Amino acid sequence: MKENNKRNIDNLLSPSLFGLLGRYKTIIITLLILTITANALSISIPKIISSAIDSYTKGGFSVGLLITEFSVIAILIFVFTYLQNIVQVYASEIVARDMRNDIVAKISVQPYSYIETITPAKLLTNLTSDVDSVKIFVSMAVSSVISSVFLIVGVSVLLLLTDWKLGLAVLSVTPIIGLTFFLIFRKVRKLFSKAQEAIDWLNKVISESILGSTLIRLLHSEDHEQKKFLLASTEAKNISFEILRLFSTLMPVITFFTNIATLIIVLLGGRFVISGEMSLGNFTAFNSYLAILIFPIIILGFISNLVAQAQASYSRIFLVLNAPVELKTGGIKSDLSGDVEVKNITVTFGEKKALKDISFKVKAGSNTAIIGPTAAGKTQLLYLLTGLLTPTSGEILFDDKDINQYDKESLHSQVGFVFQDSVMFNLSLRENIAFSNIVKDQCIAKAIATAELNDFIDSLPEKLDTVVSERGTSLSGGQKQRIMLARALALNPKILLLDDFTARVDGNTERKILHNISKNYPGLTLISVTQKISSIEHYDQIIVLMEGELISKGTHAELLESSPEYVQICQSQRSTNQYESSDEK
Amino acid sequence: MNYSLNKTDFEKEKQKGVIQTARRRLVPLMAEEKHSVIIAIIAIIISSSVLLIVPIIIAHIIDVYIVGKNFQGVLSFSGLLFFICLVGLASNYTQIITMGGVGRRLLFNLRNKIFSKLQELPVSFFNQNKAGDLISRINNDTDKLNQFFSQALMQFISNIILIIGTGIFMLVIDFELGLVALVPAMIVLLVTQMLSPWVKRTSLKSLRTLGGMSSEIQESINNFKVIIAFNRLDYFRNKFNESNQKNYNASVKAGVAANIFNPIYTLASSLAQISVLAYGIFLISNGQFTVGLLIGFLLYVNNFYNPLRQLASVWSSLQLALAGLDRISEVLALESNIKTQPKEEETKETFSANKAILEFKNISYHYVEGTDVLRDANFILEKGKTYALVGPTGGGKTTTASLMARLYDPCDGTIYLEGKDIRFYTPAERAKKIGFILQEPFLFNGTIRENILYGNGDYNQYSDSELTKLLEKFHLTNLLSRFGEGLNTRIVSGGDGISLGQKQLIAFIRAVIRNPDILILDEATANIDTVTEELLQEIIDNLPSETTKVIIAHRLNTIENADSIFFVNAGEIVPAGSMQHAVDMLLHGKRQS
Repeated sequence: MKENNKRNIDNLLSPSLFGLLGRYKTIIITLLILTITANALSISIPKIISSAIDSYTKGGFSVGLLITEFSVIAILIFVFTYLQNIVQVYASEIVARDMRNDIVAKISVQPYSYIETITPAKLLTNLTSDVDSVKIFVSMAVSSVISSVFLIVGVSVLLLLTDWKLGLAVLSVTPIIGLTFFLIFRKVRKLFSKAQEAIDWLNKVISESILGSTLIRLLHSEDHEQKKFLLASTEAKNISFEILRLFSTLMPVITFFTNIATLIIVLLGGRFVISGEMSLGNFTAFNSYLAILIFPIIILGFISNLVAQAQASYSRIFLVLNAPVELKTGGIKSDLSGDVEVKNITVTFGEKKALKDISFKVKAGSNTAIIGPTAAGKTQLLYLLTGLLTPTSGEILFDDKDINQYDKESLHSQVGFVFQDSVMFNLSLRENIAFSNIVKDQCIAKAIATAELNDFIDSLPEKLDTVVSERGTSLSGGQKQRIMLARALALNPKILLLDDFTARVDGNTERKILHNISKNYPGLTLISVTQKISSIEHYDQIIVLMEGELISKGTHAELLESSPEYVQICQSQRSTNQYESSDEK
Repeated sequence: MNYSLNKTDFEKEKQKGVIQTARRRLVPLMAEEKHSVIIAIIAIIISSSVLLIVPIIIAHIIDVYIVGKNFQGVLSFSGLLFFICLVGLASNYTQIITMGGVGRRLLFNLRNKIFSKLQELPVSFFNQNKAGDLISRINNDTDKLNQFFSQALMQFISNIILIIGTGIFMLVIDFELGLVALVPAMIVLLVTQMLSPWVKRTSLKSLRTLGGMSSEIQESINNFKVIIAFNRLDYFRNKFNESNQKNYNASVKAGVAANIFNPIYTLASSLAQISVLAYGIFLISNGQFTVGLLIGFLLYVNNFYNPLRQLASVWSSLQLALAGLDRISEVLALESNIKTQPKEEETKETFSANKAILEFKNISYHYVEGTDVLRDANFILEKGKTYALVGPTGGGKTTTASLMARLYDPCDGTIYLEGKDIRFYTPAERAKKIGFILQEPFLFNGTIRENILYGNGDYNQYSDSELTKLLEKFHLTNLLSRFGEGLNTRIVSGGDGISLGQKQLIAFIRAVIRNPDILILDEATANIDTVTEELLQEIIDNLPSETTKVIIAHRLNTIENADSIFFVNAGEIVPAGSMQHAVDMLLHGKRQS
């Protein structure tokens, strides 16, 4: 039976989980020493009591000696168990902290596409609940397994030594207990993973109801959300009841068989004592040994479950930690002049082609606009230029050298990108704009002035130190957009990529900002995805994208002659032009 | 109203005893479970009695039959022992299954309660709290409760009953010796009372840092593209390491605190044994006690202190659960300030003389005291007309629109919907009358079909062909055809698989098929190209003639067809007159931001 149990545990602990502990040899060994010391001390208590009674009955009993002996051991037990517990806490928290740091360090060298494929939600689970179950493994399983195995082996040997016949009879009960555990836990484990799925489902409903709270209130669909939640919640309840049904048979069966073992001792041992084969003292000893034997078996059963959970979690974490790093970074760190060339770029997502054989050139210091209907692939094109997306085929050249030849950091610090969606961090405005300590104050000031944010920031009581709440709910759409622009400009970029920047900024501000940019950042290469023709009429180049294809390129005047699609876009905006030009007269 | 959950003063929190908190928080929850609890308690009493009786029977067998060499007696008493074990098996099973059921039902109800509360609370609540923190609070804390209710609660109750039973047994066998055995337990209870505020405080703190860390992770991972494009991976790593370290420090402190109980209880158990042993031997030497009884008594001391020690380990999980319950109660205690006024209170004052579809009367609004977003604003919207709100960014356009949909209540003044104070409409009536396409569209994970029918009871049962017909009626088929698989195109709301413009299209369809009386478009087409936008304009033009449209846009062509234009800036909403005048104001007017 010992063998069985041990093998079980061996299977559950794959080398990787042990490998993890190897890193923390010192602390784990300390933990083991403390655990065994504390256990050994605990076992000595009954001995002291029995010897005290023996010496009293035989005479020559000293109360003083008993009390000193007992007190010393009691205090030692207190000290060692608390030390063991503290070391356990330290070990588990250190392992958890290091593991989180490792995961984050690993993620931070992965390209953007990796995060998107793995999905942020999954990474979040890796960092929270998966790390937690490994943590629980370290804090509970390690010392419990050691002390349980220690006790089971020790007591079994003692039983067999005392009386091998009765010993065998008593130990015969333990395989039944082991088997019950094995069978029930095998079923329960499946249910546990089902329960986890139900919890994930619950959490998804909760998250969506929080992120979409405004919409839910507008549509008054609170009841609908509640129904969705009730469905998930009921499922979670049902699974937990299934687990309960299994567990409710487990403990009673174990207690029952323990009592049966006691019965065996009474019947068989009683017979042996009556027939004089066994002493009364040994008979009593058997009873107390039994109590010591059963408890670790139960513990092992519970721990095997923790181990299995931790193993599953660790293998998920392991996958993230050992994913190949695809990030290619070149060595070129030189300053960019601003020449950009896109050469035969194709991007496919699954079977869908997002961009088809796109080629164009952008001269340093020039202004290029990308225009086209929704889902034409405009944003993807900008992502390609920042290396967030890698083309399926084709090349992107900066100053005639492939993007992959450049050092990523150097490239990113020279290419500013204003994203279409507002991404605000729960930091101060200064940190949101500078986004690190390496940007100089004067760069921030210039960027803020260029983005026309001075008035706004001055109106805030805490100026630049105002903390932006997550999702930027306290800012208007246009303010967020301009902060994003300031963030990109604070880099002092050579190339500026604007993704639909004008969408949320009014025409007047937009014009001022574009004017500021050309004044404050001379020689900047500008590539702008936009919907608004009036602001790009004077651009050096306009690229018309439609369903992933480059339909036409040229200046405003050229396109008016050659591109019917462009003309159609122009026509849809003619009235705006009319007003704005009349204003300029 | 202040809905921020993190502003509650940490130090001010009353450090009430755990027992009181437990009684206050847990007992009301269990009220509905009275029957099950009674059955479970009876079962626990029976199985505890079995535990207490078995040693006595064994002692009897040894003393009388084994020492007396009567195997027949051993056999018959073993039969009795076997029967008692069977009773134990049955009562044990009943105890676990009923008590486990109670815990799981409690958890189920509590979860539903929290979620209902979340649905009740207004938009301001979500604006004032970080989404990540909120999600972590609710998920983690309910999980802590889950662990407590499904595992610890049962142990908790059965251990308490076992302790009480053994305590009484000891006092009955020998009152004085019983008292000697129980004194360390009293001391330990006092120590526990003293220590538990410390344990609770540290565990609350570690829960908070955990929430902080997970919202940190969420914020960073969800915005990873910005972090990459701006070379801030080192920054992200450092910031994460910082909150990770913070969580580590708090967790270690919480662990050191929570783990103090087990050693203390072990110490108490040792103390009780030595006291009983010393005093017992003293009694024996006086001839008042026997050695056999002393051995039995020592067994009972173990029977008393073992469950007490188990209780100690369950104790920390109780503390965690109570800390979680406290945080949840903070949410449960919040009340929405956006309440539907009861019909009975409809008096004359709640009606406006003007029967226009919507009227703002002396409306003031501010998010932060002292900085008015709107100041004494007045305007009237008529049925079937198109209105445009223009003005610089940050001027208050979105706030105005949000007030129209009663996402907030004005700080001052009244909004009339069809002549009646808007506060007298139920949310359902309001949702039917007012359609609002948000600046940042939110989509659920699922198909387009699910998303455009979201929250729409009228069409939920429609078949695909009926739905297609409906879309045709509103001229929406053309828009839908832009999505590869039409109605069944899958949406993953977090990812970049769908562009902002596409999201806006879906949100547009969702709002249009609801056919509201007032349709508000808050920059709803900002990221849609102008050709598609013309299509949307056509769709809007084809809406029933009685639909009132309110359009917020920067692009002038989207508002040129408006019947009337309002200029929103610096707390004021003023009619701009002609389009040309509006443009002038935009170009030359004072800017708020």
